Amino acid sequence: MDKERKGGIIGIIVTTVILILLVIFTNTDSEKVSIIENIANNMVMPIENGLTYLKNKINNNDKFFENIEELKTENKSLKEKNSELEQQLREFEIIKNENAQLKEQLNLAEKYGEFTTVPGTIISRDISNYSKTLVINIGSDNGVQEKMTVIADEGLVGYVVTTTNKTAKIQTIIDSASATSCLASSTRDTMICKGTIENKPALSASNIATDARIIQGDSVETSGLGGIYVKGIHVGTIKKVNKGSNKTDSYATIETAVDFEKLETVLVITNQ
Amino acid sequence: MKKALIHIGLIFTFIIIYLLQSIFFSGFTIAGVMPNIFIILMLYIGLYMGRTTGFIYGMIFGIFIDIWIGQTLGLTSFVLALIGTISGMLDRTFSKDSRIIVILMGVACTIIYEVTLYFLQFMINGINVEIFEFIKILLIEIVYNTLLIIILYPLMKFTGYEIENEVKGDKILTRYF
Repeated sequence: MDKERKGGIIGIIVTTVILILLVIFTNTDSEKVSIIENIANNMVMPIENGLTYLKNKINNNDKFFENIEELKTENKSLKEKNSELEQQLREFEIIKNENAQLKEQLNLAEKYGEFTTVPGTIISRDISNYSKTLVINIGSDNGVQEKMTVIADEGLVGYVVTTTNKTAKIQTIIDSASATSCLASSTRDTMICKGTIENKPALSASNIATDARIIQGDSVETSGLGGIYVKGIHVGTIKKVNKGSNKTDSYATIETAVDFEKLETVLVITNQ
Repeated sequence: MKKALIHIGLIFTFIIIYLLQSIFFSGFTIAGVMPNIFIILMLYIGLYMGRTTGFIYGMIFGIFIDIWIGQTLGLTSFVLALIGTISGMLDRTFSKDSRIIVILMGVACTIIYEVTLYFLQFMINGINVEIFEFIKILLIEIVYNTLLIIILYPLMKFTGYEIENEVKGDKILTRYF
């Protein structure tokens, strides 16, 4: 009996450790795992190097090193060219950043100037893996009503489904039951953006016109159709255009501007 | 008196699980997938308190979940009541003394819960059908729930027999023969 109990406790501890390790490993970025990868690689690298050298010797591949002078001069000229290009790249980078900053300032002033917003904090997230509803800590006492648009600094979040005195329930645009009418910013093509059950902040855009010229990287905004969302709110960028077997079933994947995993505060537009 | 305490304890457990699920587990995930402890709770209630109690508790807990976070009132309620009833019925056929059997019951309940809920969501809210993605999430969720059942099983067994003695009373004889 005692032995059995001991075994049970060890089993529980082992399971807990496995659970925690699983959670940590599946959620860390690949960059962080690279320390372990490095160590593992360093262990086998000398052997790999030696074996490759041997293999090369056998295959007479060491002819490579015969014209070493030529390689040296080529290397030198390439290095010079490389540094030149790097400098150019840096200059472009600065200009790009400046451009982005200026654009952002201009956009923010335009975007939020006309709306009155109430800020709220997310207090609860969905308990299911297949839907993505949020609850925020402001309600009808703060002037929040049903069907009001909810945004964050980066773009559209969703709309208010129900309210109580102190809380409001939001259906996010990435919820699988949500559909948003959208426009591609530059080509003005309309599309319907539906949420998916994937764990990525991505939408799938369907109902695209057959003659639409959708460009990868173009930004997507709300069209104002449907009566829920305000027109012209940034939704995300087109990540990939998938051509179907025929013209009518092509669809696009849209990466949302808002990172829903890290979202903490939202703004409810009260004067739409 | 003791019965009242049991019911109060269950309601408290439910609230704690809800808070855990909506605050803690939304960050503590395996590859972005949360477990569903409500399924384990309903399995527990169904196994140790019978299918009628399981059904009633499933209805009540589900209604609260729908009010707090759900989109369609009655959806979670229906599915949780279903799980409560099924686990009550499982108790008649299988022994709950074995850890493996309880784990298998947990796996079955998770599959029934998620598939039914997804199907109903599809019928009511018209969500897109993404079978591969759905199966991927379901498999990870099953693994997560299984690990949690392994951890929680001794607690379930210990408190479960106390509850069963109190609630079912003289009706249980099989265990002593």
